[in-house]
Amino acid sequence: MTVHETKLCLSLLALASEHLERSGGSRIVALRVRVGELSGVVPEALASAFPICAERTAAAGAELTLEPVPGRELELQEMEVI
Amino acid sequence: MCGTCGCGQPGEPRLHHHDHEVEARRVVVERSLLEDNDRRSEALKKRLAARGIEAVGLVGGPGAGKTALLEATFAALGPAVAGQAVVEGDCATDHDARRVEACGARVAQVVTGSLCHLDAHLVEHALEDLDLDGVERLWIENVGNLVCPAPFACGETRRAVLVSVTEGDDKPEKYPAVFADADLLVVSKLDLLPHVDFDLERCLAGARRARPDLPALALSARTGEGIDAWLAWLGAERS
Repeated sequence: MTVHETKLCLSLLALASEHLERSGGSRIVALRVRVGELSGVVPEALASAFPICAERTAAAGAELTLEPVPGRELELQEMEVI
Repeated sequence: MCGTCGCGQPGEPRLHHHDHEVEARRVVVERSLLEDNDRRSEALKKRLAARGIEAVGLVGGPGAGKTALLEATFAALGPAVAGQAVVEGDCATDHDARRVEACGARVAQVVTGSLCHLDAHLVEHALEDLDLDGVERLWIENVGNLVCPAPFACGETRRAVLVSVTEGDDKPEKYPAVFADADLLVVSKLDLLPHVDFDLERCLAGARRARPDLPALALSARTGEGIDAWLAWLGAERS
C-alpha cells in the first residue's frame, strides 16, 4: 500500500459519505470508481488500501469496483446505498 | 437486524448482502477524487496571481537535478534572485533549502516524512512561513518522485518535469502520468550525454505519447548549456 493511494482512498471515502448523507441512506454497499491509466494511480494499490481505510466508516465492507479507463480521470461514478 | 452490516434488515447475519440486491439504491456521484486538492490548487493560483506571482512547479525523480537547475537559474538571474521564493519538498533534511537560500532566494522547507509528494494543502501551509512581498516567482520543488506527484496540483501555473540523461531515455514511457500533466520536459545533465546511452529523441517521443504537444528542452545546470532556452520559457531575462 502506498501513501498517495491511501490519501486518495480517504478522499474517496469523504466524497462517498457526503453523497450518502445527501441520499438519505445509512450505509454504502458498493462503489464504482473510474481510474484513468494516466491518473497516476495504481488500481491494485487503491484496492488494497480501501478495506483498511473504510473500516469503521459507513463504507465498511463495501465492494469496490475499479474500472480502468483511458486518460487522466479519477472519479467516483456511482455507489449503491441502503 | 443484520448483525454483519447493521443495516436494519431482518436476515441471517452470516448471509451478508441478503436483501441488499433488492434494497440497495443506486446513487450517481460522478465526481473526481482530486476535487478537494484541485479546488485548493486553483484558490492558491488565484491568490498568487492577485499578487502578481507566477508559480512554477518542478517535478522529477530523486537526483534529476531540480535543485541544481534552481541554482543555475538563480545565478543567471543575478540581482533578480531577490524576487524568487522556493517551497522545497523533501522527505527529510533541509539540504535543498539551504542550497537555494545560499543563492539569495527566500525559502520554505516542507519536510514530508514518508509522504511521497507535495499537494496544494501542504503548499498553503508552507506559504504561511514565507514573506511574499516583492516576490515575482514562486518555485515549488516537489519531493523527488516521478510517480506520486502526478495527480496532485500544487497551485503552480506551469509545471516542468525533469529527466536527467543518467536516468535513462525510457523514463517518460515508463512513467507517463506525470508527463500528461506537464507543461515542459526538461532533459537535464546534458553535459553527461557523451558518457551514457541516452537517446534524446526516444525520451521526447515517450513523453509526447502522454502529451503530444509537450514542449521540451535540454540543458546542463553545470555548464550552462541550454539555460538561455530555459530562461526564455520562463519569460525571465539573464542579468
